[in-house]
Amino acid sequence: MTRLIIATLAAAAVLGAQTAPAKAPAKQAPLPSYQTLKYPPLKEVRIPEVATYTLANGMKLYLVENHELPLISGFALVRTGNLFDPPDKIGLADVTGTVMRTGGTKRKTGDELDEQLENIAASVESDIGETSGRVSFSALKENTDEVLAVFKDVLTEPEFRQDKLDLVKTQLRSAISRRNDSPGGIAAREFSEAVYGRDNSYGWRMEYEHVDRIQRDDLIAFYRRYFFPANIMLSVYGDFSAPEMKARIEKLFADWNYTQPAVPPFPPVQQKAVPGVFLATKEDVNQTFFYAGHLGGLLNDKNYPALEVMADILGGGFKSRLFKRIRTELGYAYSIGADWGANYNHPGVFTISGSTKSASTAETLKVVREEIEKIRNSEVTDAELASAKDTVLNSFVFNFDTPGKTLTRLVTYEYFGYPKDFIFQYQKGVAAVTRADVLRVAREYLKPENVTIVAVGKPAEFGEPLTALGMPVKAIDLTIPEPKQAAAKVDAASMERGRQLLQRLQAAAGGAKKIAEVKDFTAVSTAEIQAGPMPMKASRTLRWLSPGHLRQEQELPFGKITAYFDGTAGWLATPQGTMDLQGPFLKQTREEVFRFPMGLWLSDRVPGRTVNATAEDVIEVSDQQGNSVRVQLEPKTGLPLKQFYRTVTMQGPPSEVEESYSDWREVDGLRLPFAITLQQSGRKIMDVSITDYKLNSGLKAEELSQKP
Amino acid sequence: MMRLTRGAALVLVVCPLLVSAQNLQDLEKRVTEFTLPNGLHFIVLERHEAPVVSFHTYVNAGSVNDPGGRTGLAHMFEHMAFKGTDTIGTKNYAGERKALDAVEQVYDRLEAERNKGFRSDPEAVKKLEAELKAAIEKANSFVEPNVYPQIIEENGGVGLNAGTGMDSTNYFYNLPANRIELWFLLESERFLKPVFREFYKERDVVREERRMRIESSPQGRLMETMLATAFAAHPYRNTPGGWASDIESLRVGDARRFYETYYVPVNLTIGIAGDVDPAQARRLADKYFSRLPVAPPPPRVNTEEPAQSGRKRAAVESPAQPFLMIGYKRPDQLNADDVVFDVISSILSSGRTGMLYKELVRDKKLALGAMAIATFPGGKYPGMFLVYSVPNAGRTVEENEEAIYGILEKLKKEKVDEATLARVKTKIRASLIRQLDSNSGMASQLTHYYVNYGNWRKLFTGIEEINKVTADDVQRVARKYFFEDNRTVAFTVKPKAGEAGK
Repeated sequence: MTRLIIATLAAAAVLGAQTAPAKAPAKQAPLPSYQTLKYPPLKEVRIPEVATYTLANGMKLYLVENHELPLISGFALVRTGNLFDPPDKIGLADVTGTVMRTGGTKRKTGDELDEQLENIAASVESDIGETSGRVSFSALKENTDEVLAVFKDVLTEPEFRQDKLDLVKTQLRSAISRRNDSPGGIAAREFSEAVYGRDNSYGWRMEYEHVDRIQRDDLIAFYRRYFFPANIMLSVYGDFSAPEMKARIEKLFADWNYTQPAVPPFPPVQQKAVPGVFLATKEDVNQTFFYAGHLGGLLNDKNYPALEVMADILGGGFKSRLFKRIRTELGYAYSIGADWGANYNHPGVFTISGSTKSASTAETLKVVREEIEKIRNSEVTDAELASAKDTVLNSFVFNFDTPGKTLTRLVTYEYFGYPKDFIFQYQKGVAAVTRADVLRVAREYLKPENVTIVAVGKPAEFGEPLTALGMPVKAIDLTIPEPKQAAAKVDAASMERGRQLLQRLQAAAGGAKKIAEVKDFTAVSTAEIQAGPMPMKASRTLRWLSPGHLRQEQELPFGKITAYFDGTAGWLATPQGTMDLQGPFLKQTREEVFRFPMGLWLSDRVPGRTVNATAEDVIEVSDQQGNSVRVQLEPKTGLPLKQFYRTVTMQGPPSEVEESYSDWREVDGLRLPFAITLQQSGRKIMDVSITDYKLNSGLKAEELSQKP
Repeated sequence: MMRLTRGAALVLVVCPLLVSAQNLQDLEKRVTEFTLPNGLHFIVLERHEAPVVSFHTYVNAGSVNDPGGRTGLAHMFEHMAFKGTDTIGTKNYAGERKALDAVEQVYDRLEAERNKGFRSDPEAVKKLEAELKAAIEKANSFVEPNVYPQIIEENGGVGLNAGTGMDSTNYFYNLPANRIELWFLLESERFLKPVFREFYKERDVVREERRMRIESSPQGRLMETMLATAFAAHPYRNTPGGWASDIESLRVGDARRFYETYYVPVNLTIGIAGDVDPAQARRLADKYFSRLPVAPPPPRVNTEEPAQSGRKRAAVESPAQPFLMIGYKRPDQLNADDVVFDVISSILSSGRTGMLYKELVRDKKLALGAMAIATFPGGKYPGMFLVYSVPNAGRTVEENEEAIYGILEKLKKEKVDEATLARVKTKIRASLIRQLDSNSGMASQLTHYYVNYGNWRKLFTGIEEINKVTADDVQRVARKYFFEDNRTVAFTVKPKAGEAGK
C-alpha cells in the first residue's frame, strides 16, 4: 500500500520535473530566520520519585517505577574499586569483577547461567571499575523472579571457578600484548599514567607478572572484603510497584547478614606535575595522536561551573576555539577537543586531545599551547560566554529525559556524598558565570608550566621536530615487560640435590670429562615445522664453537635463513636481507647459547650459575642474566627427558616451551638425542630428527661468522 | 535438565511474540505518516514521556553512489551540510558568492594546466596554486565559521552528528520539545540552499578523518583491503570514506552535482520521535520542507558484482597483533534468505552462548573475541556475511580460521537444536522491545525500515518472519553460501623480518 503511494508519487515527481523543471515553489509568507523564531516555554519536566529504604541487613534500596515498557533492570553499587588493588597484583579488582559472574554461583556454573539467562533474553553482569563495583541485571518483566534469584546468587554466593579465572587471565594477557596496536589508545594511556604517576593505583599498569600472580584465593578474599550488605546500594528500575518490589527484595536478601568493617577511603592523589613532551614512536601510522594537560579538579569545587564554561569555550564542540582554529581554519585535524576533567572524589585530568597528520604535529601542538595562553590572558567575548552558557542551560532537560537518569544520578550523588540537588546547584552556578570568572579560573587553574604532552606518531615524518616546542622531549619505551619467573625454593639441601642430579646427568651422557673435551659441535637435522595449517619441512645445520659461538642455517621452502652469534652480538640473514640481531631475535639467541647442552650439562663448573633441584627428577639451572631452564631427567637412565623454558616471541607475551628428547645414541663416547620435539604453549610446533652429529671437527670462528 | 530448558524456551517463544504484536498495535496508534506533494516522506512517533524530541534525516544515498574517480564524495557532502546557507554562516553573501565563484575559476584553470600531464608548465602551475590560495583566503574572509552547528548547540541540541554509510547518509540530533520549529527551519535550509564554503579546508579535515580511521588503524586498513578484495566491480569495493587521492582532488562542482542528484525530496525520509504533536509537525513540514523543489528519483547503481569464481585471500602487513576477517557473498536484504542470515549471525555470536564465543573464546582460547555480522558492508546490494576474529596472544590467524570453518561446517552438517533456535529468536524480539524507549533509536529505525523495506512496520513484522525460520532453513542457507569458492579472507601479518629490523 505504502509502496504504491511512493510509486505514484515518484511518477508524479518525474512528470512534474518534465513539465515544469524550473518552476519555483509557490509564493508563501516570508519564513522566520533562526534569530526571530519564538519558542513557547518548555513543559515542566517530571522528576520521578525515588523510593528509598534501608534494609535490616544494612543494604540501601532505591526504587523508581517506569511502566512504559514491560522491562525491569537494576544494579548493586558496591564501595570498592581497582584503587584497592595490591601493588603486586594490579588487575585483581578487574579480574574479581569479571569472574564473579562468569565463574558461576554455588548452585550453577557460569556456562549454565549464560544459558539460563540468554534463554529468556535476560542478563546479570558484574564488574569492578576504578572507584566502584557493580552487579547489574536486566529482564523482561515476566522473568523478574527468576532473574532476581540469579542476581542474588551472583552477588552473595559467587564461586569463582578456576576455569573462568584461567580464561580471563588468557584474555588479559592478550589485551596486554595488544596494548600498543592503537596509537590513540597508547596516547590516552601514557598521558593518564604520566599525569597521575606510575607509582600509585591511579597511574600504575597491569603487566604479565601481575596477571600471573593472581590466584583464585585472591579473588575470594577481595570479594569477601568488599561485598557485604551494608556496603551496597541497590537500585531497581522499571515495570513494578515500589512497595511490592521492596517486599520482594527484603525477602530475597533476608538471609544475607554478612558483615565486614567499613571500607576505608580511597587513597588521595599526590602526584606532582610532570611538564614535558613524551614521544612514542609508531612506524605504522601517518597521524600523530596527542594528549596535553595536567591534573584537574573536583566536581564540588565552587569554581566547577566556571571551569566547565571555560573548557567549553576552549574546546567543547563545533563552536569552540580549538575546533575553529585547528579543524575549521587550518584543516589539521578531524578530532580535536578540550575537557576540564573533574571527578567526584579525586582530581580528574584537564585534557586537550586530538590527532593530526604527522607533518603538522608540532604546529598543531603550538596552537594548542597558544590557545591555553590566550584564554588565560584575556577575557572571552560576550558572545562566547552566552553561547557556552546557553549550550549547558538549554540542553539541561536532557538530564531528565528518562526516569532512569534521575535514579542513577541520585545514587551516584549519595555514593560520593554529594547533595541531592547538586545538578541544580550546577545549573545555577553556570547561569551566574561572568567573563571575569572565566578569566579568573583560567588563570588560577590552567598551568601552562605544568602541561604534560604525550604524542604518539612517526617522528620521521614530522614537519618540525617536537623540540620546536621548547620543552624537553623524552622518548616513551613501549616495550612490554616480560613476566618475572617465580623462583623455586632454593636452600642448601635443594642445591646439593641439584648438584647430584646434574652429576647423574653428566655420567649418563658419557662423563663430565668427555663433555668438557668437546670444543666444537655440528648437528645436521631435518625438521617439520607446524606453523599454520600446512606443515613445513626444513633442513638445518647447527654449529657451535666453545665457549659461545653459534651458527644456525635453515633451508625453508621460501629461502634460507642463517643466524650467527659470537657470544655478545650477531646477525640474521634472510632472503629479504641481512640485519643485526636485536630485540627478540638477540634475546632468543642468547637463551639458546645458555641452554646449549655442552655448556648446560657442566653448569656446576660455570661461575654465576645456580643448579637447584625443584622436584625429584627436575633441576633448574639459572644465571645472573635472567636465563633459566628446567631439565627433567628420565628416572631410569638419568638422561634428559624434557626441558622446559620460557622464550620471547615475535608477537605476544613470552611463551612456555617444552622440548622432549628421545632416540639417544652414542656419538664419539657421548650419548646424544636423535629426535627432539618442541611444544609451545601446549601445542606441537616442531619435530626435529638429527641425521648427523660431528664433534671436534676443528671448526673456526672465521668460518662460523662468514655471511652468506 | 535438557527437557526443562527446552520447555522453558518454548513457553518464551509465545510470550515475547505477543509482546511484539502488542507493541506494534500500540505503536500504530502513536505513529503518523505523511508525504509532502514534493515526495518527501515523514514518520512521526509520539512519545510524551519527557519534553524532548529526536530528529533523523535518512538520505537514501551513500558511498555506493560516489561517482568513479570521486570516491568519498557522499562523505564530503555530509561534511558540507554543516557549513551553513546563504543566510547562516556568512558576513556578506553577495561578496562571498563572488569570491567562491572566483575560487572555482582559478581552480578550473589550475586543473586545465595540470591536465596537460608532463607537458604542463610547472611555473604556471605554481602561479595558479598561489592564486588559488589567495582566492580561497579571500572567500574565507566572508565566513562566520561553524554558525550552523553553533545555533543547534546553543539551543540545547544534543547528539548532533551525521554519518555516511555505504547505502545511506544520516543526519540526526535531539532538541528540547519547545524548539522543534528550529529543526524544521535549519534542516530544510541546509538541504534547500547549502553553500559550499570552506570546501577545500574541509577536504583536508575529511582527509584527516581517513588518516585516523583507516590509515593509522590496523583494523581500518584490514577492512579496506577486505572490501577491495571481495568486490571486483560493485562500489562496495571502496571504503565509505573514499580513497586518499580521490578525496584530495574533490571539487565543489562534484559535490554540487551529487547534492542536486541525490538530495531530492523523494530520496529523503524524515523520522521525528518524542514529545511532538503530529498535526503541528505536518504544518511545519508543509511550511518549511515544501520549499524543496520536485525532482526525479536519483539513478540506481547499475554495476552488478559478477559471481565470485573462486576463493580470495589478502594479507595486510601490520606490526599490530593479528586480526582476521572471513566473508561469504550473500544476496541483498530483500532476498528471502535475509532473515536466515540474521538468525545465523545470532546463533554464531550473540552473547556467551554464541558458537563463536563458546568455541573460539571460551573452550579453545583461540580468540580474545569473535563475532559474525549478517550484512556487510551494506544490505541494499548483494554483500557479505562476515565473521571477524581477534586471535589471542600466541595464537595464529590460521588456527582461528580453521576453527571458524569447523563451526560453519557444523552448521552445514548438523541441524541447530531447537533450544538454540528458540533462544536467538527470543533475544532478537527482546532487543526490539528494549529499543522502544529511545527517541533517537526509534527515529532512526523507523526511517531505515521505511526506506529499505517500504514500510516502517517491517521493524515488527520482520520479527514474525524471523520466528518462522527453521533449523532446516539454517542448514540450507549455510550449505548454500558457506563454501570455499564463495569466500574472501583477509588478515594482518607482521612485516617481513628484514624490514622489521630497520
